[in-house]
Parts: sequence; C-alpha cells; structure tokens
Amino acid sequence: MTVPATPRNVIMVSLAMFLLLVLVVLASLTMGAVHLPLQAVWGALAARGGNSEAAVIVLQIRLPRILLAILVGAALSVAGTGLQALLRNPLADPYVLGISSGAAVGAIFALWIGGRIAAASPVAAFAGAMITMVWVYLLGRSGGRLASYTLILAGVITASFLSAIILFMLTLLSTRDVRGIAFWLMGDLSATPVAELRILAPAIVLAIAGVYVLAKDLNVLLLGAEEAAHLGVNVVRVELGVYILASLLTGIAVSTSGAIGYLGLLVPHLGRMLVGNDHRMLLPTAALGGAILLVLSDTLARTALAPSELPVGAVTAVAGAPVFIYLLRKTAG
Amino acid sequence: MKTKDRGRKLAGRNRLLACVLAAALSALLSVDGSARTVKDQTGRMVNVPENPHRLVSLAPNITEIVYALGLGDELVGDTENCDFPPEATSKPHVGTMVNPSLERIVALKPDLALGTPEANRRETADQLERLGIPLYGVTARTLQGTLASIEDLGKVLGRQAEARRLVSQMQTRIDRVENRIKGQPEPKVLFVVWYRPLITVGPHTFIADVIRAAGGIPIGENLQGEWPRLTLEELLPLSPDVILFPKAESFSPSLEEFRGLSGWKDLRAVKDGRMFFVSETVMRVGPRLVDALEELANIIHPRQP
Repeated sequence: MTVPATPRNVIMVSLAMFLLLVLVVLASLTMGAVHLPLQAVWGALAARGGNSEAAVIVLQIRLPRILLAILVGAALSVAGTGLQALLRNPLADPYVLGISSGAAVGAIFALWIGGRIAAASPVAAFAGAMITMVWVYLLGRSGGRLASYTLILAGVITASFLSAIILFMLTLLSTRDVRGIAFWLMGDLSATPVAELRILAPAIVLAIAGVYVLAKDLNVLLLGAEEAAHLGVNVVRVELGVYILASLLTGIAVSTSGAIGYLGLLVPHLGRMLVGNDHRMLLPTAALGGAILLVLSDTLARTALAPSELPVGAVTAVAGAPVFIYLLRKTAG
Repeated sequence: MKTKDRGRKLAGRNRLLACVLAAALSALLSVDGSARTVKDQTGRMVNVPENPHRLVSLAPNITEIVYALGLGDELVGDTENCDFPPEATSKPHVGTMVNPSLERIVALKPDLALGTPEANRRETADQLERLGIPLYGVTARTLQGTLASIEDLGKVLGRQAEARRLVSQMQTRIDRVENRIKGQPEPKVLFVVWYRPLITVGPHTFIADVIRAAGGIPIGENLQGEWPRLTLEELLPLSPDVILFPKAESFSPSLEEFRGLSGWKDLRAVKDGRMFFVSETVMRVGPRLVDALEELANIIHPRQP
C-alpha cells in the first residue's frame, strides 16, 4: 500500500503510530516478572516517584528499559532504512557493513584489559564501531563515491574478519567475561543506567532527524546515482551523510544494548508494505514501528519465562520472521 | 507532556529524591553506626547494614554457607539453582545466577544481596547498586580461601561465633585427611570437566587445590586458564594415574565406554580401571567442600582394610 507523502498524511500516520507506541508502553509497564496490580502501576506513575516497591519496579527497572527499547528500535530501523536506500539493496541491514562487529571487538577488548576500562565497555564499543565505519569507508569508496558494490564488499569482508577476531578474543577472556559478552552478543536492554539515556536520547533523535532531512534525496537516489545527479542531487554528500548517520545510529544502539538483529532488516520492509517507498513517509513509520516492535519483543523476553529472561535478539528473530512472512504473502497476493 | 518526556522527568525526579534520601539516610546511619562501608571479598566497597536480616543469595554455594551459619530464616530469596539444603528449593526464587530478575529481587525487599563473580555478572552488581541494594561479593580460589571466605561472611552477617565453629570443624577434617595420607606417593590425577573435547581444570582453580589437598597431583601444571582444553595427544604423555568425572545428569557415557574410546583406551588409568565419578560438591565452594575433599582422598588414596 502506498500512502502519498503529503505533510498531512505524514503527520497523521506518525501521530497514529505514536499513540500506538504510548499504548504499548503503558501496557508494557504493567507486565513483568513481578505481578503488580494495575492501581499500583498507575499510582507509581502518578505519584512520580517514591520508594514503594511498585515505584522502584515500574520507574527504575521497567521504564528505563522501555525507553531504551524505543531509542534502540528507532535507531536500528532508521539505520536499516537508510542503508537499504544507500546500497539500493533490500537485504542490507545495519550490521552488513561491519559496525556491530567493530563494536563487539571494542567491547571485548575493554573486558580483556579489565579494571576501569572494562566498566566503560560501551564507550570502547562505540569507538570500535566508529573506527570500523571509517575503515570500511576508506576501503569501500571508489572515485570519491560510495559505490554500493565495493562498499558492500568492504563491509562484508571487514565483518568476517572482525568476527574471526571476536572468536579468537573470546578464548582469551575469563569464563566470567565470556558469560557477560554472550549476553551482549544476544542483545541486552537491561544494562544501561538512566543517566546514559540522557545522552543517548538527544543523540539518536538528532541522527534520525538528520536522516529525515535527506529523505527526499533518498527517494531520488533510489533511481540510480547518475539519474539522481542529473536531477540535481549532490550524490556524494547525500551518500556520505546517510552512511555516517546510519553508522552513528547503529554504533550507539549496539554499544548500549548489543547486537539485536532482524529489526534493521525487517522493519523497513514492513514499513514499505504499509506506507510505500517514499522516505518522507517511510522514515517516521520505520522509526516508530521499530520502537513499537522492540518494546513488544523486550516485554515478551522478560515475561515469557519469568523470572528467567530470554535474550531480546532471540525474540526479535523468532517473532520477526513469521510476521514478515505473513505480510509478504499478503502483499504478494 | 509526552510519555517519553514524562518518563524521563519522573526518572530524573525520582533519582534526585532517591539521592537526597540516600544522603540524608547515610548521614543519619553513619552517625549511629547502623550501616558501614566495607570492602567485600572482590575488593568492591559495599554499604552493609549492621544486622542484615533479609538476605538474597545469588549463588548455590552462598546459599549453603548462609544455611550453615544458621541464617536460613533470614534468607528471603535464592536462585533456581540453589538445591542444598533441601529447604532452599522452597524459598522464593529470583531466577538464574547468570540473569536474575531484578524485579523479583526488589519485590523481596532485601537489605543485603550476596553474590560471587564466578557465577554472577558484573552488570547485575551494577544494577543492584543503582537500585540501592548492596551486593556483597564472595569469592575463593583455594580450600583455605574458602575457610577464610566463610569466616569473613560470618563477620559481615553478624554470625562470627557460628562461622568460627564451622571453620574449625572444617579445618579439623582437612587436617585429618592430611595426616592420613601424609608420606604416601602422589598419583597424577586428571579431572575431566568435559570429554569431547577434553576439558580439564587449570592449576589455579580450587578443584586443583582440592586435588592437591587430597594427595594428588592435578594434571597439567603448566596449562593456562581455568578450563584448558587438551587434545588426546597431549594427554597421553601426561599419563594420569587416576581419572575423575563429575557425577552430573548431563554426563551420559558410562565409565565402561571409555575403555572403547580411541585415545582414551591407551591411558594407563583407563586400562587399570582407575576411573571414578565424584559428586558435584567438588565444584561448590562452600561447607561441603570438605565432603568432596574426603571423597577425593578416599579415591586417590584408598583406605587400607
């Protein structure tokens, strides 16, 4: 289905999805390993604090996690959308260019050094992601442009190489650290303190806004680089802009919550099935859709086998595929 | 106000309130000494209440120590893996050691949580700290270290007398084993953590220490790490005299089958039939470690009739 990307439509669809997100968040706040009666949850939210058990659980355990899920879900979905446009390849996802492998190497490296550096492993992960971004750019550009063919190759090769490094480094770590990294590799939305969210939120929102600014150009870019250039698009600048912003979004997401897969790949497709290819409509849909899906996945992850927790990356994979297949068959008619 | 913003503001205001309360509380408490900051067994500084009476244990060996110190009633929650003593299985569970549910822990309103870096994640410790629940870390790498760890925990939990009594009982039994096996030749012992691939214990693990205390020489004194892998080629020249397997449900082959496995059947210990199951208590760093020690000593140095 294609929804024409008039400003009115964009606002309407975004508002509708935002309301859905609010509902999902409220529902998710009431669910968890500890059964809290609804009044306790509303009470905790309304009282805006306090030390009651419900307040601590709802506001200090569930809410930060949900907020992080919103940010990471939106970040990965927008990154995926941007990269699929940049590379003109529907199989592109935020991890195909090696960013998540670079972040993993950074995190493992910090754990290996240990001590205070280990505590700052998200920073090290982000550094790893950014170094990989620069490296893949230098490797994959040709003639000053990010020609999709060489960039994909550079990204895939780098990701493979880094995966080998990761496996090697895992043998160097102590059992305890390997356990910690295993959770990170499977996706973990619980380990980020609220204070970090204050930094993450504006960064992610700004980066998503940056991609949105390029939305019209991304539409034109889909026609092909030469055609786009003929139509007045500064192809080099747009490509570089999308590349950097998508890498930033992926780097931030992966550094804080590990490698949560399938979202960046599937959400853009789901978005296109719902609203069409126009990025002015697709980007907000993907951002909010990704946020909703990740909040749902994380809620399922922490309630399905309570008090045990499933890794959220496993839930996105198991849940994402059937949803996608269903919609695929539906649109294939 | 958008829920996202309200949520953040709530979190911010809640944090501010919590910080103010915590500061006021700790100022009051440190004046009359009801809480003190101590260094736990992992080197972290922890704010421990004076007489903790709502304990949550995040590891099975800690649960055993808590019960052995007579604090079974004060234990309000433990993990699903806590199976000894039997009463521990009916306590409210907070989840697994590796990923306990913070919600469940908070709902139990503990005044002190007990964990160990060998089983629990660093992230869990950080999260509990943020929620204002002190986590006292317990750890030991040797038999003597276990005794010291139990005594220290007794001090923290206000049970010094029970701890000292328990530790001296354990020491008596350790000394008795040492006296019985003194002077006897020490056989080379291979402890098989897993057999395909062959994984054994490193020389600095406490299982290796228990083997030494039981009068054996753990195979592979120059191996690296906690769970080093050995190929069968490397194993053959090391020529263990005794092979020990942990008695676990996941361990399927019977000992007889090893006589038929290539590589294994050429080992002297297999040919002589000196292969034994040992109970899993050898892996639990707690009061029952002396049971494991006696068991190992009886296997490695069988009592003369």
